[in-house]
Amino acid sequence: MADTMEWTKEQVVAQRPGCIVSDMDGEKVMLSIDRGKYYNLGEIGGRIWDLISSPVSIGNLVDSLVQEYAVGAEECERHVVQFLNQLTAEELITVSRQAS
Amino acid sequence: MNKEWSVPSLEVLDVK
Repeated sequence: MADTMEWTKEQVVAQRPGCIVSDMDGEKVMLSIDRGKYYNLGEIGGRIWDLISSPVSIGNLVDSLVQEYAVGAEECERHVVQFLNQLTAEELITVSRQAS
Repeated sequence: MNKEWSVPSLEVLDVK
Protein backbone atom coordinates (compact mmCIF):
# COMPACT_ATOMS: atom_id res chain seq x y z
CA MET A 1 0.00 0.00 0.00
CA ALA A 2 1.65 3.20 -1.13
CA ASP A 3 1.88 6.29 1.00
CA THR A 4 -0.37 8.98 -0.42
CA MET A 5 1.21 11.98 1.26
CA GLU A 6 4.50 12.96 2.82
CA TRP A 7 4.53 12.65 6.58
CA THR A 8 6.98 14.01 9.10
CA LYS A 9 7.29 13.33 12.81
CA GLU A 10 6.45 16.96 13.53
CA GLN A 11 3.04 16.80 11.88
CA VAL A 12 0.13 16.87 14.30
CA VAL A 13 -2.94 14.68 13.86
CA ALA A 14 -6.25 14.64 15.70
CA GLN A 15 -9.67 13.06 15.45
CA ARG A 16 -12.17 14.97 13.37
CA PRO A 17 -15.38 15.41 15.36
CA GLY A 18 -18.60 13.72 14.26
CA CYS A 19 -17.90 10.04 14.90
CA ILE A 20 -19.59 7.61 17.26
CA VAL A 21 -17.26 4.92 18.55
CA SER A 22 -18.03 1.61 20.24
CA ASP A 23 -15.90 -1.26 21.49
CA MET A 24 -16.83 -4.70 20.16
CA ASP A 25 -14.86 -7.72 21.35
CA GLY A 26 -11.73 -5.64 21.86
CA GLU A 27 -11.99 -3.97 18.48
CA LYS A 28 -13.20 -0.45 17.90
CA VAL A 29 -16.10 0.12 15.52
CA MET A 30 -16.96 3.62 14.42
CA LEU A 31 -19.83 5.38 12.69
CA SER A 32 -19.08 8.55 10.79
CA ILE A 33 -22.21 10.68 10.91
CA ASP A 34 -20.93 12.98 8.18
CA ARG A 35 -20.16 10.16 5.74
CA GLY A 36 -22.87 7.71 6.82
CA LYS A 37 -20.33 4.90 6.91
CA TYR A 38 -19.23 2.31 9.44
CA TYR A 39 -15.59 1.44 10.02
CA ASN A 40 -13.74 -1.24 11.93
CA LEU A 41 -10.53 0.18 13.36
CA GLY A 42 -9.42 -3.11 14.89
CA GLU A 43 -7.54 -3.34 18.17
CA ILE A 44 -4.36 -1.43 17.30
CA GLY A 45 -6.22 1.06 15.15
CA GLY A 46 -8.60 1.64 18.02
CA ARG A 47 -5.69 2.37 20.34
CA ILE A 48 -4.28 4.85 17.83
CA TRP A 49 -7.71 6.46 17.60
CA ASP A 50 -7.72 6.89 21.38
CA LEU A 51 -4.26 8.44 21.32
CA ILE A 52 -5.30 11.08 18.77
CA SER A 53 -8.39 12.13 20.74
CA SER A 54 -6.41 15.32 21.29
CA PRO A 55 -3.82 16.71 18.84
CA VAL A 56 -0.55 14.76 18.95
CA SER A 57 2.55 14.76 16.76
CA ILE A 58 3.42 11.68 14.72
CA GLY A 59 6.65 11.39 16.72
CA ASN A 60 4.88 11.36 20.07
CA LEU A 61 2.23 8.99 18.76
CA VAL A 62 4.88 6.49 17.64
CA ASP A 63 6.77 6.88 20.93
CA SER A 64 3.62 6.02 22.90
CA LEU A 65 2.94 2.94 20.79
CA VAL A 66 6.54 1.69 20.96
CA GLN A 67 6.40 1.86 24.75
CA GLU A 68 3.11 -0.03 24.82
CA TYR A 69 3.63 -2.65 22.10
CA ALA A 70 6.43 -5.01 21.08
CA VAL A 71 7.44 -3.17 17.92
CA GLY A 72 10.44 -1.18 16.74
CA ALA A 73 10.13 2.55 16.15
CA GLU A 74 10.86 2.37 12.42
CA GLU A 75 8.36 -0.41 11.74
CA CYS A 76 5.77 1.24 13.97
CA GLU A 77 6.12 4.59 12.21
CA ARG A 78 5.72 2.94 8.80
CA HIS A 79 2.55 1.15 9.87
CA VAL A 80 1.14 4.21 11.62
CA VAL A 81 1.68 6.36 8.53
CA GLN A 82 -0.14 3.80 6.37
CA PHE A 83 -3.03 3.80 8.83
CA LEU A 84 -3.14 7.59 8.99
CA ASN A 85 -3.28 7.69 5.20
CA GLN A 86 -6.39 5.51 5.36
CA LEU A 87 -7.96 7.79 7.97
CA THR A 88 -7.07 10.85 5.90
CA ALA A 89 -8.62 9.35 2.76
CA GLU A 90 -11.88 8.91 4.68
CA GLU A 91 -11.57 12.44 6.13
CA LEU A 92 -11.68 11.08 9.68
CA ILE A 93 -8.71 13.07 11.01
CA THR A 94 -7.21 16.53 10.76
CA VAL A 95 -3.54 16.97 9.91
CA SER A 96 -1.57 20.11 10.60
CA ARG A 97 1.92 20.75 9.34
CA GLN A 98 3.63 21.13 12.69
CA ALA A 99 3.02 21.65 16.37
CA SER A 100 1.97 25.18 17.23
CA MET B 1 5.78 -6.97 29.01
CA ASN B 2 4.68 -5.16 25.87
CA LYS B 3 1.56 -6.20 24.02
CA GLU B 4 1.72 -7.92 20.65
CA TRP B 5 1.79 -5.58 17.66
CA SER B 6 -0.15 -6.07 14.45
CA VAL B 7 -0.50 -3.81 11.43
CA PRO B 8 -3.34 -1.34 12.05
CA SER B 9 -5.86 -1.17 9.25
CA LEU B 10 -9.08 0.71 8.59
CA GLU B 11 -11.85 -1.57 7.36
CA VAL B 12 -14.88 0.04 5.75
CA LEU B 13 -17.91 -2.02 6.75
CA ASP B 14 -20.57 -2.66 4.14
CA VAL B 15 -23.50 -1.56 6.25
CA LYS B 16 -26.40 0.43 4.84
